[in-house]
Amino acid sequence: MRHALAIARREIESYFGSPIAYAVMTVFTFVSGLFFSNMLVHYVRQAALADAQIQKFGRSEFQLDVPTVVLAQFYQNEAFLLMLAVPLLTMGLVTDERRKGTLELLMTSPVRGIEIAGGKFLGAFAFLALMLLPLVPMFAFMGAGGNWEAGVIASGLLGLLLLGGAQIALGLFVSSLCESMLVAAIGTYGLIVTLQFIDTTGAAEGSVWVRLLGSLSFYARHLNSTRGVVSVADVVYFASYVVLGLFLAQRSIDALRYKRS
Amino acid sequence: MIRLSHLTKNYGAFTAVDDLTVDVREGEVLGLLGPNGAGKTTTMRMVTGFLPPSKGRVRIAGFDLFDHPIQAKRKIGYLPEQPPLYPDMTVRKYLAYVAALKDVPAARTKAAVSLAMERARIGEVADTRIGTLSKGFRQRVGLAQAIVHEPPVLVLDEPTSSLDPQQRSDVRQLILDLKGRHTIILSTHILPEVSGVADRVVIINRGKAMAVDTPANLAGRLRACESVHLEIGARAAASAVSPDAVRESLAALPGVRDVRVHLNPSGTIEARLESGVGVDVRAAAAALVTGRGWQLLGLSGESLSLEEIFLALTRSEVEGGA
Repeated sequence: MRHALAIARREIESYFGSPIAYAVMTVFTFVSGLFFSNMLVHYVRQAALADAQIQKFGRSEFQLDVPTVVLAQFYQNEAFLLMLAVPLLTMGLVTDERRKGTLELLMTSPVRGIEIAGGKFLGAFAFLALMLLPLVPMFAFMGAGGNWEAGVIASGLLGLLLLGGAQIALGLFVSSLCESMLVAAIGTYGLIVTLQFIDTTGAAEGSVWVRLLGSLSFYARHLNSTRGVVSVADVVYFASYVVLGLFLAQRSIDALRYKRS
Repeated sequence: MIRLSHLTKNYGAFTAVDDLTVDVREGEVLGLLGPNGAGKTTTMRMVTGFLPPSKGRVRIAGFDLFDHPIQAKRKIGYLPEQPPLYPDMTVRKYLAYVAALKDVPAARTKAAVSLAMERARIGEVADTRIGTLSKGFRQRVGLAQAIVHEPPVLVLDEPTSSLDPQQRSDVRQLILDLKGRHTIILSTHILPEVSGVADRVVIINRGKAMAVDTPANLAGRLRACESVHLEIGARAAASAVSPDAVRESLAALPGVRDVRVHLNPSGTIEARLESGVGVDVRAAAAALVTGRGWQLLGLSGESLSLEEIFLALTRSEVEGGA
């Protein structure tokens, strides 16, 4: 465990020494703010419209609970942003160690493969959590002006962490397969975008394959958390992806030794 | 302390290391000498557990590297050819990180890092980012990294290559200081690098150990392989000197394998003797020339380069097998 923590800590420090991580964090925060304020303004206007209709006609064809709608929409957009951000955070996890020759240090230290994979995962995951931190003041600002449910906010954040964790574990695995960071990033995009949207294929509803693919998909699972629901099944689902990713990464890091380098 | 038995590495049909068996005693410094591509790095990587061998075993301080990798790896400090450094870390943080990986207890980490920096003489750059250091300093940080957990076994892969002469002698001095504290395996492709440091030298070529001996014995064998160059004056006291007479009389000396004679335009005669392994013919040749009353204008032994040593060793092996 000490090894994994040391590796995680070094990983976090290296994020803060890298322009890529700063850029990802800055853009993520900026675009999140943009999404959030745009949505807020849009739905507040809609709500005002609905209020005016009720006053005029005594009824409105749509009823709007602004906080719920904004949060659900916002968290779905954040899931999309994560998909763009995570591969940039994971692409260097193993490829960079190979490039610097420091993989040789790790592999000749009394450290197990799973400690390497676990430490790398923890480092990237902690950075992700830090990246989500600026969302909190945004919610606080909102909470000051209306009836916002802390539960929905929290479940949404948890949902993003779960989704991001699964993406990071898979990105770590892809990074361990690639010699080039760029290829690792592209491969990770391919993998997590596929998993995000795999159930939106045009195949016939209700067929076994559609249900099977649907059960693999991030999208439907993540949707729950944007509405204030995180079930044990959801946690287990995303945790399974983390375990799978770590297992594959560990095997693949170990197999790197067999390659001629 | 280190036992390699029948260590072999195949890459497809190519054999990088072929059935290498060596025992390194505690406190001993073993030099691994060979040209580039001889299999030195592959050997080092197998000894440190980075590369799994195709065949054979490695035992480190009583632990088999494959049955007990964690225990065995705790006993090893390893400086790869390219020092495994993180350019964005400071030297102190980097060494503390390595100490954690190598299971130095947290309470002792600070002291261990200070000691390693002191021994590698990098105290002055403790809080400098590694990326800004010179090559010589980086190499020393690499060395500090290898000794931070005070391992009984040190494996140093070409620790002085790619350094300038001053840095090279600095690093060589550091290694001399480490001698006695660790059992060391050291590789190089330059003979003088090992002769001053190593207790024993393995000469490795195309993955095979060509010779295992002390540097002094190896040097003796090399001297025996010397060729001798003679220059003889054209006018002798008694009679004129003919090249043929020189060749015949020199070839008759015991131990001489081959004589080549060349008549210079100025009238002097140059002769080149090649002696068999284990024979030094310089004294005998000089006695013969002066005994005949010829003028001895020059006599010199020519050392063989590493390249020629390999040739000599390979040739003698072929002859031995034939």
